[in-house]
Amino acid sequence: MKLQNKINIRFLVVTLLVFAFAGVIFYFALGRMIDHNIKGILKSRKTNVMLYLQHNDPERLVFGSPDHTIFIRKIAKTENYNFISDTLAYDEREKELLPFRKMVFSTEKNNNYFEVTILQSLIESEDMQEIIFFFMVILFFIILLALFFLNRWLSDNAWKPFFQSLSLLKSWKFSENQQVRFDQTGISEFDQLNQILKEMIRKMQTDFTNLKEFTENASHEIQTPLAIIKSKLELLLNDNTLTSLQNKQLHDVFETVTRLAKLNEALLLLSKIENRQFVERIEINFCTLIQARLEYLEELFELKEIELSVKLDVPVIFPIHPLLADILVNNILSNALKHNINHGKIIISSRINEITFSNTGNLLAIEPGKIFKRFVKYSASTESTGLGLAIADEICRSSHLRLSYAYHNYLHCFTLVC
Amino acid sequence: MLCETIVSYLEGEGYICEQAGTVEMGNEKVNLYEYDCMLVDIGLPDGNGLTLVRELKKSHPETGIIIISAKNSLDDKVMGLDLGADDYLTKPFHLSELNSRIKSLLRRRKFDGQKELIVDKIRILPENRQVFVRDELLPVTKKEFDLLLFFISNPGRVLTKESIAEHLWGDFADSSDSFDFVYSHIKNLRRKLLEKTGTDYFRNVYGTGYVFE
Repeated sequence: MKLQNKINIRFLVVTLLVFAFAGVIFYFALGRMIDHNIKGILKSRKTNVMLYLQHNDPERLVFGSPDHTIFIRKIAKTENYNFISDTLAYDEREKELLPFRKMVFSTEKNNNYFEVTILQSLIESEDMQEIIFFFMVILFFIILLALFFLNRWLSDNAWKPFFQSLSLLKSWKFSENQQVRFDQTGISEFDQLNQILKEMIRKMQTDFTNLKEFTENASHEIQTPLAIIKSKLELLLNDNTLTSLQNKQLHDVFETVTRLAKLNEALLLLSKIENRQFVERIEINFCTLIQARLEYLEELFELKEIELSVKLDVPVIFPIHPLLADILVNNILSNALKHNINHGKIIISSRINEITFSNTGNLLAIEPGKIFKRFVKYSASTESTGLGLAIADEICRSSHLRLSYAYHNYLHCFTLVC
Repeated sequence: MLCETIVSYLEGEGYICEQAGTVEMGNEKVNLYEYDCMLVDIGLPDGNGLTLVRELKKSHPETGIIIISAKNSLDDKVMGLDLGADDYLTKPFHLSELNSRIKSLLRRRKFDGQKELIVDKIRILPENRQVFVRDELLPVTKKEFDLLLFFISNPGRVLTKESIAEHLWGDFADSSDSFDFVYSHIKNLRRKLLEKTGTDYFRNVYGTGYVFE
């Protein structure tokens, strides 16, 4: 939901609630006021009638007013009473039954008892109450509308720098030296935000550059000494004066250095991929790539007597960095080969946007979810770096591919989805 | 350090080597003398080795160039090969691998690839990928041929299992299984050569590798 809408909706809901509440209270207060008013009118008319009765001879009384609102009749001796009630009465002018308030009371003069009924029409006051309320509601709506638009205009203006920064950030593509230029907004909060964003971006860029430089330097600085160690060892291994035990020990060192160099290389590759240093993309047909790789490895399969079944009829084409595509296919195939059993099977099949590599092999000693983690090995005995699948996974993540693992029908299945 | 090691290894092979530690020294030598082959490290103390490649291509285009780099980055590789380098090696490499690349480069450069390699009773046509023993064609697989060529390029040297595996399968060599494959390939090649020539050319160095003699 957009910020603007969210604010507006909340604002509307709160105002409506307040107005509704105020409206109800206002309506009842108005009713009470009118009631009070009518009571006052009735009381004053009662006083008038009483005065009239006191000052006139009861025998010559006119029992009733010309507008049919006061009726006086003689009654038998009674206790004093006085009550008010609502009633419907026939109105001569309107020719219909209309609501009236009725005051009935008794009075006495010279042992003559009278009952006086005073009627006060409610129709005017009810009409008035309704008209007042109606106008109030209309007024409320006008105020509401005005507030709504005012609020929108205000927040539009107030948030403008924010949306400007947002669109700037949206259109900004991460690269090492592209700067983001925020304008001065004149609002201290937004200026602060922009300042912080600017600093964060600069920090990000320097971190990226530093890391990139570090990986390159580390690659150079570590690989060179390793190359020296390796070549010196190779020279030593050719020394005929060495005993076979010395030779064996030297070879062990040589082997370890070789592994160390591979490990270093793999880690550097991983961080390069994570740094998104492979940006260039070209359309690669994975099927032809796999075919080529398989031909190259043909003998490795034969030696392990692995039955290979390849169904790559559906071409799978995806834009990816060529080196990464190569490494990805290499690593998955190498994994299928390395962890296979003798006389095992490898099945490679392609469907639309999908390639599945299935291979026989021992049961996993680790949780399937951890298979793409670094330095996770199937068994302690293998001399692999434990980085092959981690690299494959990282390549997929950086190239918008998906690599998933499943185990069914005694086969380890790796599925590559475009 | 690496340079010295390479020089002492190559001098052992019978090459005459000169060293240059910087781009400047390299430029001087490249302009003064004529070489058969130049090994260039990209990361030199005073600049990028690729400038030397450019320079050499101008002054002596017939010289073979092999680039050595610690940076396993594709850009360098592509750029180096575009500039006219013949080969590219990433550190750390096996000296035997370097030696075999130099030999194959010199073969291609000097004799247009048509040179025969004759070792004792074995005759090899690298261009046609054929092996003859006493004018009789010896059927070998692709990998066996590569293996034989690798050994013949490094006669009398101990070739470790690792360097052989890496030479044959590149990145796939990191599995310990590949040593079994090396073993099995050598066994086959050894048997084939023994049958035809009556000589066992391979010597096993315990726990380390093999020597071709």
